Amino acid sequence: MRDSKFIRRLQQELPVWAERGWVRPEHQQDILAYAATQSGGGTSHLTLALGVMGAILLGSGVITFFAANWGAMTKLAKLAVLFGGMWAAYAGSGLLMARGSQMVGHAVLLLAVILFGANIALVAQIYHIDSHYPDGVLTWSLGALLAGWLMSSQPALAAGLLLGILWTGMEGFGFGRGIHWPFLLLWTAFLVPVLRHRWRIALHFALVGLLFWSWETFWQAVMRGQGRLLAQVVELFLLSYLALFLIGKLMALRPDAEALSSVVQRYASFAVLACFYVLTFPGLRRWGLGHAGAEKALDGEPALWLMGNFLALAVVAGLAWLHHRSAPAEERPPHFVAGQALLAAVAALLAVNLFAPPAWGGALALLFNLAYFASVVWLVYSGLHTGNRSLVNQAFGFFALWVLARYFDTFWTLFDRSFFFMGGGLLLLLGGYFLERQRRRLNQEILLRGEGGK
Amino acid sequence: MSHGLRIAVIVLLQTLALAAMIALKQRTLDTGTPIVLETQPIDPRSLFSGDYVRLNYAISTLRLDQPGSDQDFKPHDRAYVVLKPGDPYWQPVSVHHQMPALAPGQVAIRGEVQYAGDSLWNQETRTSEKVRNLRLRYGIESYYVPEGAGRALERPAAGEKISLRVAVDRAGAAGIKAVLVNGRERYVETLW
Repeated sequence: MRDSKFIRRLQQELPVWAERGWVRPEHQQDILAYAATQSGGGTSHLTLALGVMGAILLGSGVITFFAANWGAMTKLAKLAVLFGGMWAAYAGSGLLMARGSQMVGHAVLLLAVILFGANIALVAQIYHIDSHYPDGVLTWSLGALLAGWLMSSQPALAAGLLLGILWTGMEGFGFGRGIHWPFLLLWTAFLVPVLRHRWRIALHFALVGLLFWSWETFWQAVMRGQGRLLAQVVELFLLSYLALFLIGKLMALRPDAEALSSVVQRYASFAVLACFYVLTFPGLRRWGLGHAGAEKALDGEPALWLMGNFLALAVVAGLAWLHHRSAPAEERPPHFVAGQALLAAVAALLAVNLFAPPAWGGALALLFNLAYFASVVWLVYSGLHTGNRSLVNQAFGFFALWVLARYFDTFWTLFDRSFFFMGGGLLLLLGGYFLERQRRRLNQEILLRGEGGK
Repeated sequence: MSHGLRIAVIVLLQTLALAAMIALKQRTLDTGTPIVLETQPIDPRSLFSGDYVRLNYAISTLRLDQPGSDQDFKPHDRAYVVLKPGDPYWQPVSVHHQMPALAPGQVAIRGEVQYAGDSLWNQETRTSEKVRNLRLRYGIESYYVPEGAGRALERPAAGEKISLRVAVDRAGAAGIKAVLVNGRERYVETLW
């Protein structure tokens, strides 16, 4: 619908543009023909969306139909239904894809993946298999990975990534077995086809998964209850996401990876600011201290985290150097040079933080607050220059969060409670109004330059 | 690789994964030593298909004051519980981190520690006893029964006693072979 409107509008506008000399009259038909060939994307994506919804509905219907008649069936009949349904769905998807119905084929493939998961649960039920249930979710996720990889199917792969997130959530929060490292192996296996096919939607799922795992790991460190370890974990994440941000910057320079670079930068900058925000709290190093058994549980771990931090620092330095070399000195815009200087300052601060005694917590927090503020300003600056509105929006969001946190830290004990809440209310109302106005102004500026959202 | 071949590889590997689930369980049932365990069915739930009974065994909570038992267990540790024949139920002998050497007639069932505590509530004296104890899970705590039958297992009639016949293989893995009511088979597990 949107495409046909666009083409109608183009038909109306083109003669005016030709009259004003913006386009050559003889190119009008070529432009319209090109627009018409591009308009099919909307329809095929609609087909895929409807197909995916249909697959989910059909899968749910099949499961509930057999569930209602389950008791009356023999084991053999149940197995025939389960395996037969899955095989038929896979055969159907292969047939549809071979005949050129790609979108419906992908939807039916997703149905087959759903049936594989249902079969895991139902076979476990038929044979009374009561094992560690996240293993079932992992098996399902691996099955989706296999289907997504071999059939080059983004929906199947995205579903597998969602199941991977569910798996790590179950292992981390449900069973509390400490940091769930195996998720990173699974995540890497998913990342290969995502990058190979340059799948943007699946990349969103992958990066959401990585953020979720990072958050889960942060909470595991909080539960372990040692402030020093917590600071090291957050710092390692900050450096890792900084490295990812630089990778995103480097991807923007490569024509084959440019399409994914803005997505990578968006999630990486969000994570960097979130980690920075945690490090701005003066009490971070005291969090959780004194929990029973914490010291024993961490035997040998601080050294590993320290090594991880050094490795990440080296990777960030290497990527910063590559990024530095990507543009000749005379072509480097001011935000580029400012960014490199800020990166060096942050890296130095993080290196000092690794060895600082707990007594330095207050002074370091002050420096982290300064660095956080500088990073937020730089992000706005960089977002404006590169036309990346999401960076500007993130910077404003984190700035507002930071102002609120410092207001609570500073005035909670100094003010009478009524003054505190009145002041906080005024700060929210006036600050929110001011920030929103500034954010809209800058976004408008980016849009007027015609570079919005890149 | 053609579409057909790719689909065939996916179908083959996923079918093998499902078949392995069945085969591993069936292997335990076919080769394991049958033992009878005292149980108290609890909390039947209506899952999306059929009824589902949670089983609480007498060996689900164990004291560690038996001679020869290891002591330093923590949650998620693997544990091997040595059992000896009893009349009618098999009884715990000791608990270990590793598979122990077994005396003739004994079996060791593998479980996972859910909770390790230092005090235990004594139902008879209605007091808390200071004794190291474990709460264990053996992977035989769920049993799916036909629709409506879960309630009957949860609340047996007066004089009815529910127990389970379980197969324990050489590695300690366990599988439910039959549900017994007063020693007689009510539900028996078969491959097909």
